[in-house]
Amino acid sequence: MTESVRDRWLSIGMSVLLHGSLIALLAFGWWHFREAAAPAPSLPINATVIDARTLKGVGTASTPAPRPKAPPQAQPPPPTVQPQGPPPLTPDEQAMRQQAAQQEAQHEAQAQQELQARLQAKQAREEAQRQAQAAAAEQAAEAQKAAQAQAAAQARKEAEAKKLAQAKKLAEEKKQAAAAKLAAEKKAAEERKLAEQQAAERAARVADLQQSLQEDQQAAVASGALASWQSVITSRIQNAWIRPPTAQPGIKCVLNVSLVPGGSVTGVSIGECNGDDAVRQSIQTAVYNASPLPPPPSGIPFPRQLIITFQPTN
Amino acid sequence: MKPTPRMTPLLRIFLAVLAAAWLAVPHAAHAQLQIQITSGVTNPVPIAIVPFAEAPTDGTDVADVVQHDLVGSGRFTALARARMPATPTSAAGVTFADWKAAGSDYVVVGQVVPMANGQLAVDFNLLNALTGQSIARQRFVGAASALRNAAHRVSDVIYQTITGIRGAFATRIAYVAIVQQGADQEFQLVIADADGYNQHLILQSRFPIMSPAWSPDGQWIAYVSFENHLSAVYVQKVLTGQRTRVSMRAGINGAPAWSPDGKKLALTLSGDSGHPEVYILDLSTQHLTRITDSPSINTEACWSPDGRSIYFTSDRAGEPQIYRIAATPGGIPERITFTDEYNAGPHISADGKLLAMVTRDDSGSYRIAVQNLATGEFRLLSPGRLDESPSFAPNGATIMYAARPGQGQAGILATISVDGLTGLSLRPTQGEVRDPAWGPFIQ
Repeated sequence: MTESVRDRWLSIGMSVLLHGSLIALLAFGWWHFREAAAPAPSLPINATVIDARTLKGVGTASTPAPRPKAPPQAQPPPPTVQPQGPPPLTPDEQAMRQQAAQQEAQHEAQAQQELQARLQAKQAREEAQRQAQAAAAEQAAEAQKAAQAQAAAQARKEAEAKKLAQAKKLAEEKKQAAAAKLAAEKKAAEERKLAEQQAAERAARVADLQQSLQEDQQAAVASGALASWQSVITSRIQNAWIRPPTAQPGIKCVLNVSLVPGGSVTGVSIGECNGDDAVRQSIQTAVYNASPLPPPPSGIPFPRQLIITFQPTN
Repeated sequence: MKPTPRMTPLLRIFLAVLAAAWLAVPHAAHAQLQIQITSGVTNPVPIAIVPFAEAPTDGTDVADVVQHDLVGSGRFTALARARMPATPTSAAGVTFADWKAAGSDYVVVGQVVPMANGQLAVDFNLLNALTGQSIARQRFVGAASALRNAAHRVSDVIYQTITGIRGAFATRIAYVAIVQQGADQEFQLVIADADGYNQHLILQSRFPIMSPAWSPDGQWIAYVSFENHLSAVYVQKVLTGQRTRVSMRAGINGAPAWSPDGKKLALTLSGDSGHPEVYILDLSTQHLTRITDSPSINTEACWSPDGRSIYFTSDRAGEPQIYRIAATPGGIPERITFTDEYNAGPHISADGKLLAMVTRDDSGSYRIAVQNLATGEFRLLSPGRLDESPSFAPNGATIMYAARPGQGQAGILATISVDGLTGLSLRPTQGEVRDPAWGPFIQ
């Protein structure tokens, strides 16, 4: 019994150790696959790889990329000056006025040019900004798409890895179950063998005991001890049997008497009996009155059952 | 708990091995011992008859009557009341171990219960103290004046349950009492219970009355009366006193005996020849058939239970001996008794197996003896010295007879068991008692 408990704990320990190793291997494998999978472009994933640094530069827009010039915007028409008001001037005045006008016209043209330049610069900036934004948005979308693709790829990878792990785990479990089954069968076979061995030993002991008892009984019979003891019991019961008048020759009643060690009668059952109720009462009473019966001589086991045949002869 | 499938075969193997070992060991170690019992003892059965719970009565102690009956039969010994561990009146109150310890194999408990109509019911329960089982229980209902009879019926049941033989306590006897009335003697024909109680006078006469005999149905008594100074045979109805003289022929008219079918009487008639012979009288036709024919005395006829034979006393061999002859004319007598020189007054047990008689032993004492008709075994029973008129109880277990213990002493009634172990004198009766006759079972 103790051996089988020890064996069981040993089995459980071995099992725990084996499982732990497997789990550790699985964990290592998963980690390894996760690390190595990142740069593996061999997987058939339809995606564009974008450098994160490029994305960063685009995002800042510090140096505007050379862009095709924006198409000329419709310029507002130059203002038409209508002469109004003052009376005609002198030639000096006129020359001065003309010079002043020319200067003003130059200033205005210059201002106009500057304005135009500013407008164009503004437009260029706006265009650049717009394009930068569009590019950024596009890049962001692309980045998102790439990220999504990457995530999907990652998820697929993980799913694959998980599936693989599960398959591995299942295989491992199957393997483990098979091993456990094998172990159990082996153990059962061992236990069966042990039980058979014990049964054989027990049977051998019983046989020995039986042999010994038979020898004792034979010895007792040979020495007359058994006969003597039977005679004592017979005499005791005959003296206790108050024979009713109806217990005549021809009457035969068999009693099955139960005894306990010590010789006390614990039960009397009447078997075959052709006597009347008085005979039946008398023989039961006789056996109870003879109780306890004398102990057997050494070497004879106390019988649990006593078959008493009442058969008056005269 | 459900065993795991893995354990089942193992468990099965283990149990099988265990069972095999268990079976093997007891058969080897505790083999049945065979004992053969071929004889027993004839000791009286120890019984305790606990006082019944009594209703107000005439003072009859039912348990005492029962105890007297059973002990008087010789087959029982009763536990004295002073030694009883308790006085239960029903089985529920009986602690069997106590009664077993007191030495009683059986215990009787009971009660007398008054009924609404003034009658009394007697309930009893017979218990085996060793097995703890009730083996007989019954209720008898009757008039308060019949309480003793109810007690006798309780005795009958107990006796039959334990001995296997029908009890004969609730039966009656008839006898002749001779009472001195001044200077004269009065002869009385008396009927009483089997224990001598409850006496009823059915005939009284200044002339001798002899040889009462019960009819098989217990309704009639035949007897010899010498009224008119001549012997005559009468039959009288017990209940009404109605009587008929059936024979008053010349010479002796004596020793009537009813045939088993109650239709005939065997008589001793001397007729004109002067020596008594046995005849059969048909009561319905008055036809007389002579059975014996010898110059000796032939008398005291007694029928065999099957009605085919008649046993009688004859001195044809010199001394009285008992013979058997066919109950038809022309039979040849066969001598039955050879022990002792004097054997007379035959009476056959109801089962036809035993012959009771008066025998004279070597000392000259007249004693009651029985002879087994099958084996010839002869056994002296009564102590003597002047015992006469043996009469079997209807169950054949006991014999009643008239005894005169000593010369000059008055005759009394006594009983003796057929094994000779138990003798009992019936309660003293007035005067001298003769010729007892034990009546049949009362149906």
